[in-house]
Amino acid sequence: MSILKVDSLSVQRGGHVLVDALDFTLQAGRICAVLGPNGAGKSSLLLAIAGLIPFQGRVELAGRSLSALGRAGLADRVAWQGDLPSVEFGLTVHQRLELAASGDTGGIASIAGEMEIGALLGRPLGELSAGERQRTELAALMLRDVPLWLMDEPTAHLDLRHQVQCIGMLRRRRQQGRSILVVLHDLAQAMAVADHVILVDGQGHAAYGDADMLDAGRLSQLYATPLCRQGSGFGPDYGEKR
Amino acid sequence: MLSMNSTAMRFSLLLGLLALVAFISLSAGERWLNPFATNQGLDSVILWELRLPRLFTAFAVGGLLALAGAWFQVMLGNPLAEPYVLGVAGSAAVGAVVMLSLFPESPLGMSFGAFIGAGVGIAVVMAFVHLGPGRLLLAGVVLAAFWSALIALMLALLPQGQLGLALGWMLGDLSSSTIPSSMLLVFWALALGCGLLLASSLDRLLLGEKHAAALGVDVSRLRWALLLVASAATAVAVTAAGTIGFIGLVIPHAMRLMFGGMHRVMMPASAIGGGVLLVLADSGARSVIAPAELPVGVITAFIGVPVFLWLLWRRA
Repeated sequence: MSILKVDSLSVQRGGHVLVDALDFTLQAGRICAVLGPNGAGKSSLLLAIAGLIPFQGRVELAGRSLSALGRAGLADRVAWQGDLPSVEFGLTVHQRLELAASGDTGGIASIAGEMEIGALLGRPLGELSAGERQRTELAALMLRDVPLWLMDEPTAHLDLRHQVQCIGMLRRRRQQGRSILVVLHDLAQAMAVADHVILVDGQGHAAYGDADMLDAGRLSQLYATPLCRQGSGFGPDYGEKR
Repeated sequence: MLSMNSTAMRFSLLLGLLALVAFISLSAGERWLNPFATNQGLDSVILWELRLPRLFTAFAVGGLLALAGAWFQVMLGNPLAEPYVLGVAGSAAVGAVVMLSLFPESPLGMSFGAFIGAGVGIAVVMAFVHLGPGRLLLAGVVLAAFWSALIALMLALLPQGQLGLALGWMLGDLSSSTIPSSMLLVFWALALGCGLLLASSLDRLLLGEKHAAALGVDVSRLRWALLLVASAATAVAVTAAGTIGFIGLVIPHAMRLMFGGMHRVMMPASAIGGGVLLVLADSGARSVIAPAELPVGVITAFIGVPVFLWLLWRRA
């Protein structure tokens, strides 16, 4: 069943067309990676599909038009992970997770354990490192039992161990039937999880295809920098240290 | 993570404080009275017909100011916001001073002017809501400066005899409330009810607007609802007691430190805590230079500023 169906979606921000006439479908248990340079519109694409910014075109969530769903109906179908939340009001990690779990606090302990933040539950968010806050956000998303996850750079701020764990978590959720649209900057990570990709080039064009279609030439063009195959992914050539 | 137990204990502490300041407020004044041993004569009249209603007035106004402060802070995503920052108190003062100069003989005129002034201030602020929290705060600061300038202009034109009255009101005055104390308690209860109804949405808004919306909160509707209830609470408080600062700033902050930020606990704590602080401040204002009275806004500033600085210090 298609969890997400997007028809001729256009997203604008500040008068610039970021994404124009994008069509794609995401089935249950599939991951689509969104790739592209800084400022191309990857995050805006996610925000549009989360119903958080205006867009043109049609977005369907499990057969229902996004525009016809209220905020509560949307929250039952889509979860969004993105900016780190405000620390102004002194919320603790546990309270932040409670807000995501909307009352059902039974799962907090085990998911906090999985993200290795169990020992931080009583601490205010403002006292944590960026990586710890990011793991808190991942745990908050994991508490959202909805068909579609929108993830904006889930591995940002994480050390290597937790990046590997995060990618492993995405794979497990995919196997359990979750659909995930995820912005990634690390091409090895994208190749490790993605069934499909959306390339957003920053000129208003967004192209959808299978992850297998990626090649070094296409990616080098996307990022305007020479890339070559490295292991199972692609990476830049940093040159020699002299 | 606060256990239920320690929350209950802290609430008991707060209620104990309320009982203590209520006792002080009934006892203190030009004549010191023992509320447990006064049931006849002039003392009884002073106690039950003057001091008790005034205790209720101070408690309700303090609670309303604290709740309004907490709402403005969540709405603007900034724990340093309060109704006064948005210029609502300033516009209320303009209304009051205008009525004072037009109808110098009528105390009701001043209250009415304050209420209309608060409404005008709110309407102007509402025109800026769609610009988002940051610019709304900035607009509030500029508007507050504008209202101050208007007040200064009108005070300069006011006859000498009314200057003291206007200044007294602008620094807070619980002695000449034209709203009955029982009605103020009803407003207090209504405001707390709104706070509890909105509690779960307010909690999610603490994360920021995008997070709240992604968790199912209709943020623009919530923001309008908050502006409405916060402004109504401010208007009632200002109408009853003039402009009293710092309670809307200090109490929500202190209650968050004591009880955490979740609103199902923080709302009742602020409603009571604000009342406790204003009752205490008013007792001081009535007693320190009795039979004369200090403006209660001066006392709240004297209590509020050091407490606020200490809280900031301890947090850092």
